[in-house]
Amino acid sequence: MDVSGVLEAHKQKFKSVSVEGKVIPLEYDLGLLTAIDQNPIDEAELKKNKDEYLQSLSRDNAQLLFNEIFQLPTISDDNGVMAMLPAPTTLLPREKPLPKPKPETRWEKFAKAKGIVNRKKERMVFDDNTGEYKPRWGYKGINDDGSKDWIIEVPSGANPMEDQYEARREAKKERIEKNDKRRQRNLEEAAVASKMDQKTVNKGERPNMDNARAMKRKEIENQILISKNSTASAGKFDEAIKGDLKPKGIKRKFEPNVTADLSKEKAGNMSILDRVVGKNGEDLVNVRKAIKATKSRK
Amino acid sequence: MLRTITPRNARVKRVLKNREAKTEENIKTAIFIRGSQTSQIVNDALADLYMLKKPYAVNFTKKNQIHPFEDHSNLQFFSQKNDASLFVIGTHSKKRPNTLTFARMFDHQLLDMMEVSIEKGTPMKDFKTPKSAIGMKPCFMFNGDMWDQNPHYIMFKSMILDFYHGQTVDKVALAGLEYVISVTSGPMTSEGKPGKIYLRTYTIVLKRSGVKLPRIELVEMGPSMDMTFGRMTEAKPDVWKQSLRVPKELKPKKKKNITKDVMGDTVGRIHLGKQDFDKIQTRKMKGLKKRTASTEDDKDSSEKKQRVDDSDDEE
Repeated sequence: MDVSGVLEAHKQKFKSVSVEGKVIPLEYDLGLLTAIDQNPIDEAELKKNKDEYLQSLSRDNAQLLFNEIFQLPTISDDNGVMAMLPAPTTLLPREKPLPKPKPETRWEKFAKAKGIVNRKKERMVFDDNTGEYKPRWGYKGINDDGSKDWIIEVPSGANPMEDQYEARREAKKERIEKNDKRRQRNLEEAAVASKMDQKTVNKGERPNMDNARAMKRKEIENQILISKNSTASAGKFDEAIKGDLKPKGIKRKFEPNVTADLSKEKAGNMSILDRVVGKNGEDLVNVRKAIKATKSRK
Repeated sequence: MLRTITPRNARVKRVLKNREAKTEENIKTAIFIRGSQTSQIVNDALADLYMLKKPYAVNFTKKNQIHPFEDHSNLQFFSQKNDASLFVIGTHSKKRPNTLTFARMFDHQLLDMMEVSIEKGTPMKDFKTPKSAIGMKPCFMFNGDMWDQNPHYIMFKSMILDFYHGQTVDKVALAGLEYVISVTSGPMTSEGKPGKIYLRTYTIVLKRSGVKLPRIELVEMGPSMDMTFGRMTEAKPDVWKQSLRVPKELKPKKKKNITKDVMGDTVGRIHLGKQDFDKIQTRKMKGLKKRTASTEDDKDSSEKKQRVDDSDDEE
């Protein structure tokens, strides 16, 4: 039984989905749903009926683009049939530069060394006291400062006259302060580490934290010394604070008054003179101001 | 110019975090600005381009004294305030009539910009046809042989793709491809200058075709613009290179030890370790055993047998 005739008749009813006449095959960037047609434009047609020519050209290219898209592998989703697109080939510029990686915090380093993995916890926890589910943290959570309990037993070592409700509130405040201090410390150490280890930051990896802490500590100690010197008497007559840092390595060296070798003294004085009024020393003294000052004094 | 905002509540903190640099970026927001003098064509064009870009678009309704090619410091301020990296500025003057300037920012600094002047424009409202929904992902078509050659065309193609491609996704719903933006390059002028470009927007209608692939029909939706190129500021090469950098997480992962040979078959390499020949267990391999006296006698008798057989054969 020859059905080809029937098939032909059936096919004639519908318009074709193939497109002829493309000398250069189209280039596709399916990641961006783009088709690029390098075939030359028919200038005569364009002049005669511009809009119709553009519409028919676009229709042909859209048909070819859709033929390609429909050949992609598909998966069925809640939203219907989805076509899996490849990655785009056209490079489009970003709007912001690549993010700089943040250095590891003290906890992250410890967790990595111990192999501690962060597991997500449920928000609601069963509270045995009340027999219902409460949030693990936040508003009306079980993590509260505990001053809402209607009765608090005095712990075995504490002063019986102490206000336990106050004690609990103070304890929570202390915990918050401690946490904040740690967060600040992490931020400062991260800033120091990023500044010191610019090479790995620019490569896109996390900077090395090992020297950062030592550097930060040194920085803080230096600042303490500077502030100690910033009193009216340069820190000489201040009361000594218990447990204070003693400045290390600051010892004044005095040259003897009478030396056999006077050339050293001469050399020293000449170098000072050079620096102040010599050719290299023009930046040290503002000559104009100095002249003005001496003139006004006179 | 802009004060640095320190977050005082969680909502502001979330917004600031969203505006930070990320590995996978947000969809770029575009700002549509009117210059000090605009014409009807320019206003219509800006309105239509704004509708196509919604919801990632900001429309400045008031007129601004802005001349991007002379002074682009305003653009930096707008970009930082609105967290936008794309601009379309519409102006009209006797010298440059019906002009649109497309500009892109990188890190809130000007990356590149180009000027086009509209010769003829038909807005969306003049086409009495159904329009696609707001926020759909369009298909693109670039017709003509100039799109890879001339720098004007290269930048325009990059701009159009950057403006309207929306989110880069790895899958798309086949029913959600509603409209197509088609840009055709006309012939070059007699002086050798770039010719006109024709931008058309159509909605896609899928028709039955008797086979699995549908027949596509297009209905013009607007806007439709015939444009010529104007001035252009290309990106500085080092900034351009920096803007194209892909973060390590998004680079495609290489599969090691798997290759395709000439015939197209997938071939893999397995690396076995080094074998220590001193430690091979040879005691349990029969073929390596030395022959003892009893086995030698058997051999002699078998040889004798053979000789007798041979003599028989000879007879």
